[in-house]
Amino acid sequence: MTNLLNIENTLFYIVICLYFAAMIFYFLFIALKKDGVAKLAAIIQAVGLLLHTAALICRGIGAGRLPMTNQYEFATSFAWGLCLVSLIFIARFKFPVIGAFAAPVILLLIGYAAMQSKEVKELMPSLRSSWLGFHVSTAIIAYGSFGVSFVLGIIFLLREKMQDKGFWDRHVPAREKLDLISYRSVCLGLLFLTVTIVTGAIWAEQAWGSYWSWDPKETWSLVTWLVYAVYLHLRIRRDWKGKAAAIFAVAGFVCVMFTYIGVNTFLPGIHSYA
Amino acid sequence: MKKVWKFLGSMQFAIILLVVLILACAGGSFIPQGHSYEQYAELYSERTAGLILGLGLDDVFHAWWFLLITAFLCGNLLLCNLIRLPQLLRRSKQADDPAHLGAPCVELEGIRDPEPIFARLHMPKARETTDEAGRPLRISVQNRVGLWGAWACHLGILLLILGFALGQMTKEEYTVYGVPGEIKQIGETSYFVKIHDFRVDRSESGFVEQYTTSLTVIDNADENDPMSVDAVASVNHPGSAFGFKLYQNSMGDAAKLTVRKDGKLLQESWACAGDSVPILETPLSLRLQSVLREEAEEERNPTGYAYMIFVGEEFYTMNVQGPGESIPELGPNYEVSFSEAQSYTLLQIKRDRFTPLAFAGGLVTLLGLLLAFYLQVRKLWAVQNEDGTWTIRGSSPKGGALYADRVKEAAASS
Ligand code: HEM
Repeated sequence: MTNLLNIENTLFYIVICLYFAAMIFYFLFIALKKDGVAKLAAIIQAVGLLLHTAALICRGIGAGRLPMTNQYEFATSFAWGLCLVSLIFIARFKFPVIGAFAAPVILLLIGYAAMQSKEVKELMPSLRSSWLGFHVSTAIIAYGSFGVSFVLGIIFLLREKMQDKGFWDRHVPAREKLDLISYRSVCLGLLFLTVTIVTGAIWAEQAWGSYWSWDPKETWSLVTWLVYAVYLHLRIRRDWKGKAAAIFAVAGFVCVMFTYIGVNTFLPGIHSYA
Repeated sequence: MKKVWKFLGSMQFAIILLVVLILACAGGSFIPQGHSYEQYAELYSERTAGLILGLGLDDVFHAWWFLLITAFLCGNLLLCNLIRLPQLLRRSKQADDPAHLGAPCVELEGIRDPEPIFARLHMPKARETTDEAGRPLRISVQNRVGLWGAWACHLGILLLILGFALGQMTKEEYTVYGVPGEIKQIGETSYFVKIHDFRVDRSESGFVEQYTTSLTVIDNADENDPMSVDAVASVNHPGSAFGFKLYQNSMGDAAKLTVRKDGKLLQESWACAGDSVPILETPLSLRLQSVLREEAEEERNPTGYAYMIFVGEEFYTMNVQGPGESIPELGPNYEVSFSEAQSYTLLQIKRDRFTPLAFAGGLVTLLGLLLAFYLQVRKLWAVQNEDGTWTIRGSSPKGGALYADRVKEAAASS
């Protein structure tokens, strides 16, 4: 089993290199304005994602459980989720500029993972539950989607300021469409975040005897949920679509990051292991 | 008055309430909850401490103003859903009504045959009718049920809050601990727990993997005819009996305490670590602190018992007693010893009849979101012009330009 963990370790660093290369090619695409470069960047990112998936599988088998139970595993899974969802959005909306903005975030996340302890520890009894898999894997997709909304929010806000209209007009959808794509990513994220919260509540009910106890992680996942609910309602008002919504999409992701990292760092609670 | 009602049921009010809730929750997570004035004063300043206690910020999630905001949110949701119910019924009924097609977001002219385009977009069978000018008109509505998404989501949130609030008001919570063989009462109820067995499963390296208690819950309401239910509680798998759920919460050291005076057995009982046991005929009480064990993980034989002695409530002394030795502090007449070290199990016992309501609310919310986001209502309609060609129009309130693109793509590839 240590063999598999060694393979995972090697793959992990290869994946970091691939994500870094993808980022460089995305930047080159923006600098050179060549579609072929964007395609190459996306292919490198996709290969990175495949190897990243293999690394997670190795870790899962090597550790004999789902690779989602500590700060390292969740950080690398979060990077994986963002990579996956951003590739889906790049392909679905033929919008490689997403990659140029998502790649640095992915690198930051996987870099954060690299700084965490990779030790495989035995799980305390309360973490030995089949709900763990549902709870954390849906959180990964939710966070990945919100990462994409964040990126789209930034692209929206930058688009207004860009001088080089030619490139932006050709490679970035118009305001209305950009807002709709961002809305799609928030929908995906909010749906999965809701599943995360519901499965977390079911699990907490079984493990601690209380499905909601206002622990800081729970409270911040609720705050995040409410921030995106406000985003949705603001969008219903025509005059709030666009810039205001984009600002909220960016703020929502700040809440996501706080729920993920800030709570563990500043607000200890019963969730302190994850 | 009408204006006030309208505001209370409005979305603006909803947004204000949600933003206030966000701020309250964030505040409640930053300010440590449940501390005393002195602790806040030490953490911040005396003035801030006064402010925190005055505003109920030491217990935000149960503060009167937090409950009030939540109550307003419920009222707001209820009003909003009541107002929208007839509107939605009407919109659902009129979805394929030629007089209520609404503004299109896409329009394609000169189509020879609309059928392949409808098929490519997976539109359901079109309603065939005529427009006001008598021209053939085909209307197809996709995901009509999606109209109900937001409504269901709001209903779910209402049920969720209701279930949670009723649960908070009526739930019962007890703690019971003991060693196998003991029978303990659940709070002041007529129920008792008989502990049969407590098992700790460890991995090869000695790491605890699971705690399991086997027990029987006995209802002694009718002493002549007690009823009983067997249950097993382990971490993540609570037992259940008589509507109670029994959670394996934690464990601790326990040992048998034997007291002899002048050679005669005075008392014998189980002492759980942390419990003070009064010694009969003396003002003293004895508290087991912990059982000391050998380092070796497999054997884990006790090497001693750490204890404290109190005179009334006052701490008197603490010491360690080796196995087989007597505690010297009580004098030569007394022979006091701990033996048969084992673990006690601590169970948390709860009864909340409204948990299913809260979970049902959560599921309805989830279903609502699924409908609202992934079953978006889309309309496509085609009118036949005099020259035999068709004009296709489509609308999608939430898809807008993206839906327009899809319709154009479908037309291009048909
Ligand atoms: C925690 C509270 C709430 C949540 C999570 C929530 C969630 C939602 C969601 C998911 C949608 C659908 C949005 C979309 O499809 O883009 C929606 C729409 C809507 N919500 Fe809420 N909502 C909440 C509270 C409220 C309240 C209190 C009101 C009271 C007026 C309200 C009024 C509306 C309206 C009018 C719509 C538009 C409905 C439609 O498009 O058919 N919401 N809400």
